Amino acid sequence: MNGWLITTFGSTEALTQLTITGLVCGVVGVHVILRRLPFLTMGLSHATFPGLVLAGLLGVNLLAGTMAFGIVVVVAVVLLGAVDQVESASAVGVVTAAGFALGVVLVSASDGFGRDLTAYLVGSVASVSPADVAVTAVAGAGVVALLALFHKELVLGAFDPGALAALGFRVMALDLAMLVALEVTVVTALPALGTILATSLLVAPAATARLWTDGVGSAMALAAALGVALGAGGLALSVAFTTAAGATVALLAGATFAVSVAATTVMRRT
Amino acid sequence: MIRFLVDPFSAPYLQRALLEAVLLGVLSGLVGVHVVLRRLTFLADTATHTVFPGLAIAFATGTSLFLGALVAGLLSAVAFTLLDRARRVTSDAALAVVLTSFFGLGVVVVSRTERYTADVTGLLFGHILTVDVATIVQTAGVLALVALALALTHKELVLRSFDEGAALALGYPVARLDLLLNVVVVLVVVASAQAVGTVLTVALLITPAATARLVCRSVEQMYVVAAAVGALGGWLGLAVSYEASIHHGLRLASGATIVATTTAIFVLTALGRWAWRGLRPLPRTTAQPPPAAVLP
Repeated sequence: MNGWLITTFGSTEALTQLTITGLVCGVVGVHVILRRLPFLTMGLSHATFPGLVLAGLLGVNLLAGTMAFGIVVVVAVVLLGAVDQVESASAVGVVTAAGFALGVVLVSASDGFGRDLTAYLVGSVASVSPADVAVTAVAGAGVVALLALFHKELVLGAFDPGALAALGFRVMALDLAMLVALEVTVVTALPALGTILATSLLVAPAATARLWTDGVGSAMALAAALGVALGAGGLALSVAFTTAAGATVALLAGATFAVSVAATTVMRRT
Repeated sequence: MIRFLVDPFSAPYLQRALLEAVLLGVLSGLVGVHVVLRRLTFLADTATHTVFPGLAIAFATGTSLFLGALVAGLLSAVAFTLLDRARRVTSDAALAVVLTSFFGLGVVVVSRTERYTADVTGLLFGHILTVDVATIVQTAGVLALVALALALTHKELVLRSFDEGAALALGYPVARLDLLLNVVVVLVVVASAQAVGTVLTVALLITPAATARLVCRSVEQMYVVAAAVGALGGWLGLAVSYEASIHHGLRLASGATIVATTTAIFVLTALGRWAWRGLRPLPRTTAQPPPAAVLP
């Protein structure tokens, strides 16, 4: 059994990491789709990149350092978006590109910097340690617990923030909690998928689930199942064809979405 | 100060880099005006990522990088258009899926070839310092073509940006105008991908135009300011990168430094405008929609 696992998925750490990441990303992804945050997700994953490099340079814990930097990024986007005459989309774009450039400048300036750039960009699921898996599991449990606890409020906020405010809830606090949950998810997805492809697991499973189901709860269940299946399936494919794991997962997720779009369109016509 | 700006460019390879950076800055600035006005930021970001598999496949098979990037860019535009038309698919979800799938394809292709790391880094971050004359001519050609296209359709594009309904009612071919703008964005991305890399191209498309949007009152002014900021960012970025590398022993990647200086110009402009408004409160001239993408 264990031998089969290792020949199919490379390592048990890799499989566990991708399974947890797929599950959490699927659940959080439903909120990303409902609140129309795919671009912000993209921005967060890019802008978080210098945090990863800085944490590596300073020798502090990678996840903790990246997480701290990610919070700074969230604040920067919110502040820039509040400036008159800066569209929020432009704010996300500027912060994304600037954060990414900062990361590249840092990498290029640091001689003999251990892990290479490519690992940060496309992930290296093979090098995931048991400690990484543990941190991911704890952070993932926290995010899912937060979403479960405030499920009703968060869903109402996504559809009708005015009603939420009228009912006396703090819309701003809930929105910020949602953004922080998203950022935590992005940060924990980074080691496995890399900065760019983390967006894939956060958007594609949820967007696919949205095609097949109407309810928010059922969409979350389906997206979580899809996230786990895509993570494990992509990993197995990447081991079989010796391709980059994160990229294979993203490709598989895109293909699943495209097939679902075609299938649901045809089904609706007949 | 003058020496800092002029001295680095005595070497021929840096003169070529400067020429390419200024051409790209002007090109991205002009097109960026429409990207910012139409809020096509995410589309531009997607285009920068989707040309990557084209570059990777062209690199692996030894064909023209320009052609490979162009084909991939156009294919992704078609894929996005098809996915976007489906019921229950929002355009941002479609863009994100197209972006990550195409990028994933590029990484898969590159990871199958040898010299994996060096190639990915080169394609992502470009080699502006080793730009050759043929690429500069290509960029100049794209600039001429794009400037002509923008000049010929200026009135229609601006009307479509501000009032789609009016453009439709007046009988303008809105779908074809959208397609034209998307193709222009893909062209710019393809032209700049080799110099500053696919990832940093998006900064050149958005940041100069966003800077112009802060200070300008008309689209024509935005063209001028955005092109100037794009060119200035390229020049300053190269000078800073050279100064740090030669005199301070700090190797800064030139493409990324160009982005960093352009962003610095944007931040300083935003701060300056904010301080100016604080001193002299002006009446709001434009109604802003709520920042939907951040806090809906």
